[in-house]
Amino acid sequence: MTDSPVAPRRLNLRGLALTMGNLRGLLALAVVVALGIMFTPRNLATGHSIFLTWQTQSDILFEYSEYGLLACGMTLVILTGGIDLSVGSIVGFAATLFALLLIGHGWGVPAAAAACLAAGGLAGLLNGVLISRFRMQPFVATLAMMVAARGAAKVISGGIKVQPAARDWYALQQGSPPVFDWLTRSLPVIRVQPATLLFLLAIVTMTIVVRYTSFGRRLYAVGGSEEAARLSGIRVPQVKIWAYSLCAFFAALAGLINASRISIGDPEAGFTYELDAIAAVVIGGTTLNGGQGGMGLTFVGVLIIAYINKILSLNAVPEPWRLLAKGLIIVVAVLIQQRRKA
Amino acid sequence: MKYYALAAAAAAVVVCAGCARQAPSGSGAGGQQGKVWNIGFSQSNLGEPWRVQMNADIKKAAEAHPELKVIFKDAQNDTATQQNQVKEFVQQGVDLIIISPKETVPLTQPVAEAMDKGIPVIVLDREVQGDKYTCFIGGDNKQIGEEAGKHVVKALGGEGQIVELKGLMTTTPGQDRHTGFVKGIQGSGIKTIFEADCRWLEPEAQKEMKSALARFDRIDAVYAHNDPSAHGAYMAAKQEGKGREKTIKFIGIDGLPNEGVKYVRDGILSATFVYPTCGPEAIDAALKILAGETVPKRIMLPTTVITKETLEAKN
Repeated sequence: MTDSPVAPRRLNLRGLALTMGNLRGLLALAVVVALGIMFTPRNLATGHSIFLTWQTQSDILFEYSEYGLLACGMTLVILTGGIDLSVGSIVGFAATLFALLLIGHGWGVPAAAAACLAAGGLAGLLNGVLISRFRMQPFVATLAMMVAARGAAKVISGGIKVQPAARDWYALQQGSPPVFDWLTRSLPVIRVQPATLLFLLAIVTMTIVVRYTSFGRRLYAVGGSEEAARLSGIRVPQVKIWAYSLCAFFAALAGLINASRISIGDPEAGFTYELDAIAAVVIGGTTLNGGQGGMGLTFVGVLIIAYINKILSLNAVPEPWRLLAKGLIIVVAVLIQQRRKA
Repeated sequence: MKYYALAAAAAAVVVCAGCARQAPSGSGAGGQQGKVWNIGFSQSNLGEPWRVQMNADIKKAAEAHPELKVIFKDAQNDTATQQNQVKEFVQQGVDLIIISPKETVPLTQPVAEAMDKGIPVIVLDREVQGDKYTCFIGGDNKQIGEEAGKHVVKALGGEGQIVELKGLMTTTPGQDRHTGFVKGIQGSGIKTIFEADCRWLEPEAQKEMKSALARFDRIDAVYAHNDPSAHGAYMAAKQEGKGREKTIKFIGIDGLPNEGVKYVRDGILSATFVYPTCGPEAIDAALKILAGETVPKRIMLPTTVITKETLEAKN
């Protein structure tokens, strides 16, 4: 980390905060898991805990793989001090486009997936350009994209859910594309779904990128102080454009998983997902001010939210209680952050 | 670190508060004395009044049978969540699952997997594909539409001009309520002079009705695909200020106690057609299945018409 463009003293402090943050996050995760073990109902027939089974554990990761991918991309953007409100809509757009290309137009899986990921990346590129070149506030630029991408999803689908036989001209009139089933069915031996593996792969890759590459260091530098980063020779617009493009790319990937999971291209898919993604990043400990945090923290944040949701669901806790619980958890997480800064 | 204690305590309080409501499920798990049947019910969402009524009906029907314990889950209009809920019920080892699916295709697989594990599944209102379920119970929207059509023919003496305020026409209920109605008025002198897709929404219906009122001097009846739309149409006529809300007959569908039935009682609607929630019938079927009896694969529930006369006859 010695070749960082930012002053070394700052970096040491950051390293310290990161280590502490990691420990705090893991401790919180441990508390949540313990609560899960204590409060999860047992199998009504056998009396075994249904929480401590491989199936429940892998389900938790699988159910949160979409949010996880969004949180992964969101971390990059938040590290630069920005925010991306458009990821939920991009999930819906990519899911609809993927289903439309496969079911409607009969494309092959590689071509359809590539087209969707490229389209997602382009949307992110546009976000980045609006923010860095045209000096729009991230909140405003991505708000516009959030609305527009949702509209685009409805335009390409004609306002209906894309599924076999939904229209006369669709190439596929019966059954679902096999890739839908493949992505969401547990692989033999490891008993994990390919969708989950995509999420884990994204987290691992981005952890390495953020920690060990110059791009990662530039993300922190831009988020820490844009002016300082610019003066030290970093091309700030370029860094931001990459961050937003990658963020939208991961959102599109989440869209492919969404379509596969429900075997429908739903133009309404991903509605309010951006909020859960932001919550996961914040609960992990990455601050919205930028320049502080990391991908490992986000992974912990995603796990905390995923576990809490699973525990609430297994206990059939009514929705009003869940909303209260989630609100409380976010507040507590932010209190912890403020404590760290002090 | 003190915030950690706070975090843990807060989380524990909330989770426990939630669990407290479910306490019998944990404690009653091992109890064999007086066999308790655990039923898992996954509702697609609780945003629609009709579905809230379905939950209330199931709760009421189940309370009459102390041997039944229903675990209610709300999928929040999210297909993936509903898939997870079915899986969770299977893991939990419930004796029977009742589901009102959000989507047909994506829930077919989880329901089939539950059946494979030997858990009977009752499907309400919206079907799943294939035949891997125990029993389907639903209302017949085509029949409801047809009954509404016949009612309009009779009420207007076989001749008149009507407005049709449709539900979301990309959905089957919307399509069926329309085609059924067309069949019901076939061969009569009833003419549909204005129709619009109001997407089940009262404000939309009010807007569309205003356009209809502006365009036509003579409107004899309004057929709306749900009660809120019929109510919206009534409000539009009232706001017009020509007193036409008193001469036009407003007809709705769904007949919920606090909605359509109340509107009929208040003289706003001239009739509403009950779309059955299937709740009581689902519990009946569940009891039979758990007792080892066979039930029909498909149970289609008939509609009933609610008018001032039927309400008075009841009292």
